[in-house]
Amino acid sequence: MAVAGLFAVGGRRRRVSDVLAYLGVCAFVFVLAFPVVWMAITALKQNADLYPDDAIPFWFKLPPTWDNFDLLLNRTQFVQWTITTAEIATLVVVITALVAVPAGYALARLNFPGSTTLGILIFLTYLVPSSLLFIPLSQVIVQLGLQDSRYALVVVYPTFTIPFCTWLMSGFFKQVPREIEEAARVDGCSRIGAAIRVVLPVSVPGLLSLVIFAFTLSMQEFIYGLTFVSTSAEKPVTLGITTDLVRGDVYFWGSLMAAALIVGVPVAILYNFFLDHFVAGITGGALK
Amino acid sequence: MLARFEGERLLGYALLLPAIVYIVALIGYPFVLAVWIALTNQTVGSANAKFVGFDNFGWAWENSIFQTALRNTLLLTFGTELVKMVLGTTLAFLLVRPFRGRGVARALIIIPWAIPIAISVIAWRWMFDSQYSVINWALVHAGLMSASAKPNYLGDPSIALWSVAAVNVWRGVPFSAIIVMAGLTAIPQDLIEAAHLDGASFLQRWRMVIVPIIAPILFIALLFSVVFTLTDMTVVYLLTGGGPVNSTHVLSSLAFQVGIRSTALSRGAAISLFLFPAVLLVSFWLLRLLKRRDI
Repeated sequence: MAVAGLFAVGGRRRRVSDVLAYLGVCAFVFVLAFPVVWMAITALKQNADLYPDDAIPFWFKLPPTWDNFDLLLNRTQFVQWTITTAEIATLVVVITALVAVPAGYALARLNFPGSTTLGILIFLTYLVPSSLLFIPLSQVIVQLGLQDSRYALVVVYPTFTIPFCTWLMSGFFKQVPREIEEAARVDGCSRIGAAIRVVLPVSVPGLLSLVIFAFTLSMQEFIYGLTFVSTSAEKPVTLGITTDLVRGDVYFWGSLMAAALIVGVPVAILYNFFLDHFVAGITGGALK
Repeated sequence: MLARFEGERLLGYALLLPAIVYIVALIGYPFVLAVWIALTNQTVGSANAKFVGFDNFGWAWENSIFQTALRNTLLLTFGTELVKMVLGTTLAFLLVRPFRGRGVARALIIIPWAIPIAISVIAWRWMFDSQYSVINWALVHAGLMSASAKPNYLGDPSIALWSVAAVNVWRGVPFSAIIVMAGLTAIPQDLIEAAHLDGASFLQRWRMVIVPIIAPILFIALLFSVVFTLTDMTVVYLLTGGGPVNSTHVLSSLAFQVGIRSTALSRGAAISLFLFPAVLLVSFWLLRLLKRRDI
């Protein structure tokens, strides 16, 4: 992805600008990544070491400790929240795949009146914000008998994963050459048979990014969980951490940061691998 | 031929049906329900709702906390959007040139966007802590701040909104940067080289070659970013809870406070519906943009 030509300058000026650019990058990286470093330091500190007025806070005055992790894993419902989250996210992935893959295929491959408009409209529903829907959806959830249950979230999260992933999949399917599908049909496959046996296997990267995004978007949601779920064991992990590790005005900083680290870092790493697909999804192929 | 076309059309609708049903049932219907709730006087647990017309909207419009929230929402959205775009574009230009460790740098700068927002806001709350803020420690020891005048980032009504804005910017800069980078890398190299050989200065290249090509994508990213910022309540809810003295509420956090916490469903629904015109406007804009590009 490197673009050298944008900056084509020669000789000494080039070296100076290189150094300046490096410093700029370092400054950005420092500010953007510092909170994670701070999470890690805090998570490993003893409580008495959290407010060291006389020492450098970026290092340990008292020896590092696993106490915060111990509290988190053994004396809170953190493990339960993580399992709940994994269950919610997995079910959301399944629902999303079952709905978005056929829809994306139809939008990319089948010519029928209004398909372009319909596709864009589906994508635009991704913009309908949770802050507009949480009040009426809380009534819908009661009508469905799902109040205070993790399954409320399983039902609701696809409202943002389906529009995004339908768009994402239609982008992927468009890139599959029509010829291989036609060849399969000449060999006697039906339209759907060709789609399943030929198009799907070459779209595995697309399916994989659907899985990653439906999963991480589910993990990042907060408002619906906050609105619909209050029983601790039913909470997704981000909600559990931010409600149960705060007692009134008392924040269990060490354990909070330990939890943040355990949940945040894997999600960030996953995201990073599929970033380019995410960008392609958002920009809707506007770059091609 | 006609039969094949008919079959294709039926299959197309059939494959789209589940997505359409889901969207109508869980986005369309709730939206209509939101309008209905806002036009009645429901509270949590009340059985008999009465139609009250626009009373809830009128109540909100007159309410001073609502007025603050509306002002905050607009200030935060447009203020932070501007900063995000400027910083994001700068970062994109820094990252798009080849240098050692570029992959690592890109992975690190994406962290704020990738980490679940609830989690990073808690980390910020800790960094802004009134008893012990690591930011203040660093500023005092760097000689940039006197130890007696340490700001209370979340407790001081004149600063708290700035803190919310800072977290918003921190979260949004990577998104802008990544989108702009994608735009920059899409520019054909020979186009830039040609402009360079023709003696175009950096500013000329920027204005004549780069901007026209990346403008559409930048605009799409901007529209998305506006909607995300406009409607986000997680940052405010977890960072300040709308306080101190309701000075940092945005429309969505106030809707939650009034509609869910204080159980005045109808008033909450009315407050959140004030977001709708903006979302609608952005959607229309995007619709036109995307259609014109015929993808």
